[in-house]
Amino acid sequence: MAPSPALPIAAPLLCAAVLAALRKWLPRRAIDLLAILTALLNLVACAWLLRSSWRHSIVYWFGNWFPRGHMALGIGFLVDPAGAMLATLAAFLTLLALTYSWGRSDSGQNLFQPLMLVFLSAMSGFCMTADLFNLFVFFELMSTAAFALCGLKTQEPAPLQGSFNFAITNTVGAFFTLTGIAFLYGATGALNMAQIGLLLGSRHDSLVVVAALFIFSGFLIKAAIVPFHFWLPDAHSVAPTPVCVLFSGIMVELGLFAVVRVGTAIFGSTFAGLPDPMRLGFLVLGGLTAIWGGVMSFAEHHLKRVLAFSTISHSGMMLFAIGIGSPIAIAGWLIYVCAHSMIKSGLFFTAGILLHRLRTMSEPLLFAQGKELRFTAALWFLGGCGLAGLPPFASAVAEHMISHAGSGRFLAAATVLFLISGALTGGAVLRVFMRVFCGWGDKGPGDRASQIDELPEENEETQVIPVHFFAPAALCLAVGIALSFLPLLADLSLSASSRFLSQGGFIDAIYARTQSPGASPVLPGTGIGSMIGHGLAAIGLALILAVWAVFHRRLPRKMRWPSHLEGSMRWARQIQSGQPADYVVWTMAGVAVLGSFFLVLR
Amino acid sequence: MSAKCRLIVFCLSAIPFAIVYLAAAKNLPPWGHYRGPYGDVISSLSVYERHTTDVVNAIDYDYRGFDTLGEEYILFASVLGVMLLLRDPNPKSGTADEGQGLSKTVKFGSAACFGLLLIFGFYICTHGQLTPGGGFQGGVIIATAFMLIYIAENLKSFKAITSHPLMEALEALGAGLYAVTGVSALLVGAPFLTNWLPLGTAGDVFSSGTIAVISASVGLEVAAGFILLSYTYLEDIISGGGKVS
Amino acid sequence: MIAFNLIPYAVAAWIFLCGLYGIITSKHLVHTVISLAIMQTSTYILLLAIGYRWNAVAPVFADISPGAVTVDPVVQALMLTDVVVEATVVALLLAMVVKVHEKAGTLSPDDLKVMRG
Repeated sequence: MAPSPALPIAAPLLCAAVLAALRKWLPRRAIDLLAILTALLNLVACAWLLRSSWRHSIVYWFGNWFPRGHMALGIGFLVDPAGAMLATLAAFLTLLALTYSWGRSDSGQNLFQPLMLVFLSAMSGFCMTADLFNLFVFFELMSTAAFALCGLKTQEPAPLQGSFNFAITNTVGAFFTLTGIAFLYGATGALNMAQIGLLLGSRHDSLVVVAALFIFSGFLIKAAIVPFHFWLPDAHSVAPTPVCVLFSGIMVELGLFAVVRVGTAIFGSTFAGLPDPMRLGFLVLGGLTAIWGGVMSFAEHHLKRVLAFSTISHSGMMLFAIGIGSPIAIAGWLIYVCAHSMIKSGLFFTAGILLHRLRTMSEPLLFAQGKELRFTAALWFLGGCGLAGLPPFASAVAEHMISHAGSGRFLAAATVLFLISGALTGGAVLRVFMRVFCGWGDKGPGDRASQIDELPEENEETQVIPVHFFAPAALCLAVGIALSFLPLLADLSLSASSRFLSQGGFIDAIYARTQSPGASPVLPGTGIGSMIGHGLAAIGLALILAVWAVFHRRLPRKMRWPSHLEGSMRWARQIQSGQPADYVVWTMAGVAVLGSFFLVLR
Repeated sequence: MSAKCRLIVFCLSAIPFAIVYLAAAKNLPPWGHYRGPYGDVISSLSVYERHTTDVVNAIDYDYRGFDTLGEEYILFASVLGVMLLLRDPNPKSGTADEGQGLSKTVKFGSAACFGLLLIFGFYICTHGQLTPGGGFQGGVIIATAFMLIYIAENLKSFKAITSHPLMEALEALGAGLYAVTGVSALLVGAPFLTNWLPLGTAGDVFSSGTIAVISASVGLEVAAGFILLSYTYLEDIISGGGKVS
Repeated sequence: MIAFNLIPYAVAAWIFLCGLYGIITSKHLVHTVISLAIMQTSTYILLLAIGYRWNAVAPVFADISPGAVTVDPVVQALMLTDVVVEATVVALLLAMVVKVHEKAGTLSPDDLKVMRG
């Protein structure tokens, strides 16, 4: 007895309408409470759907339009474990974000809560839909709510520019996706993913490949893969903390989710078993993103931008896992998404605590200011360890699974990339820890971008940090650790990923044929030793990098980093120019590069 | 990146883009020979199944009504977003412009057109299931009618008529009604957004079940939404903002 | 013959590129937003061209009998959705532009240096 899959979509939308209508008459606490209750309802409904869809995916046809023969007349939802899991994650993070904003002084005249609920509804629909145009509509709904929420703090000029850059880049991406959808509609005359997959068969001509290219490009822009990533640091440095949590925690990951969903349901037979040029394209872009994100994360001095670039780096590793493409890799990807989401959200909430207490996000200005904030320091340190991939964080489990997927062909590359990404991103967070909370070394260089977001999010400064700031941060990090102790985690994620990757299963479910359970691949040995080893190596490297950066001036001249490195860091930061025109040019170049990989298939 | 560099990269990527686009388009069915079954099936069925003569409307509000729910909430979110972005923490009063010195002919003509546009908008809204039209189109026409008041008169008169909290409530009501119509189907035991109201006769205004209801709610939301948008912009540019801080 | 069939798609591609060109060479934020709207137009043309049929009528049966050969109504419905989406995104973007002008005093992207890394 599962709840209706329409519930996670309809309930937040209805509540948002009610809150928007009554926003000037209801007291603030009532609006906050209603929003939190709706997010809680969504969480329960999605978790229940996850439980119910475990053995058989749930199919739901809106408007009672069942397919006639192969013709799908209406819009269908297909709730499978992977989608339900991401929807649950979205609901959980929204619940925490709304709790964090309880009693927040600037709630945009109570417009913040309805927009968050609309955002939640869009994300839930995005995860569960089986119709290509419906996917696009939810993509746009998600984006519109995100643009509005990003520009919440209108008292400074920066949030509006960051929001503007975000909006322009993502809308260009949406146009690419829509063009691809139009091509697929022209080719098959259908909009339901299973029907398109069935009609395309293994058709391989330029139309299908180009449609795939355009659709993937749009989603990769949302997923902030290099060179489509430029909007993310701008958006994160200006958005309010709870919104940043949602962006990094779930919105970016949904872009990659869509790549896998569309890639298997529609292009499963076309690109049977991920042809090598496409795989290479994903692996190369993923690796490049991981490295660039890590390097830039280390080069930034604005706390939220450090975290934003680390999201980019981890997103790159997620794309790398998708490039590997085997069920074990996607199982690892699912765990990685959850783990990264929890750790990153914990870090963002902690950054929000710092902003509230110390009134700035700039690393040089925060130097040694955090010495009394013991608990916050502990949270930040734990977050840094989690980013580096130290067990017992679930990110270590995920990294282990991904590295050993694909029959070990990518073991070397994956290990090296995870090490680099973990060391750089974890190192950046630990460097901030040492400077801000321990007061070691010196202030460190600042840059123009670190001055963004001087306005704190609460008007009154209090000595005591309220519990509704701490609880989400601590809870996220706790879940990030607890996840790796979930019994049968690997098997559960593997069964979810096998279903996720099976085009036949998708089509069978949509057309209500009996779903065969499908073979479950065998997991390689647990290899806890190597997992711990990799984790320790990453954290060790991260600590070394952090210490090196912090005590840089005091080192003898020979051990400092070369002088031209500082110059190239400045050049690298300037690529992030803040100009939407630059970002769009990079997007075009990126589509061209990705296209060159795809079209080798022809 | 310098402007010249951008232009070079753009030209270098634009040419392959065009080639790739056309190479894909070459494999589409020839222009003017739409093959796909989806449109034809719905065209042939919608009059009989839903008693509606405007097939596009039937698709929008029934077959693919869930998409339109999302689209309506995109408009809703966007209106909320504009109100959020252009909100003024310290609302001022009294700096509205006092008339725009338009001639009496314009004012009289606009007043006459207001009534006409309003009726036309309602007509389009309610006849969506018969002829091209429907909630979105009709709502925009109604909103334009209200804009005439601002153009002919001044911001004060516009504000007096489009009293702010009521407009917001109406807009949210329109948005909520769509979701409520969907939920009402759940309460009758059918999937979300099923058309369960009596279908009437094709060609009547009161036909096609929930399509007419949804169309009306969308019209309400779009009209109120665009009026709110214009009000928010005008309020910010004329009374509030326009200054550099 | 092939070239004739490609006309609407070539137009769509051209308009897409014009919009992109506008965004890339823009010296005014409002110009950027309008170029974005122009890009959206290309998707409309693409959709409608895909659904077109020579010598067919509009899919409205108010005055013709059901069973007549019509153009594809689905792409028209999709396009209506897109029009609303475009209008709303443009409205949101213009609100941002208005606010940027209010806070920074300029609308030239080159002068807006706050986000520079």
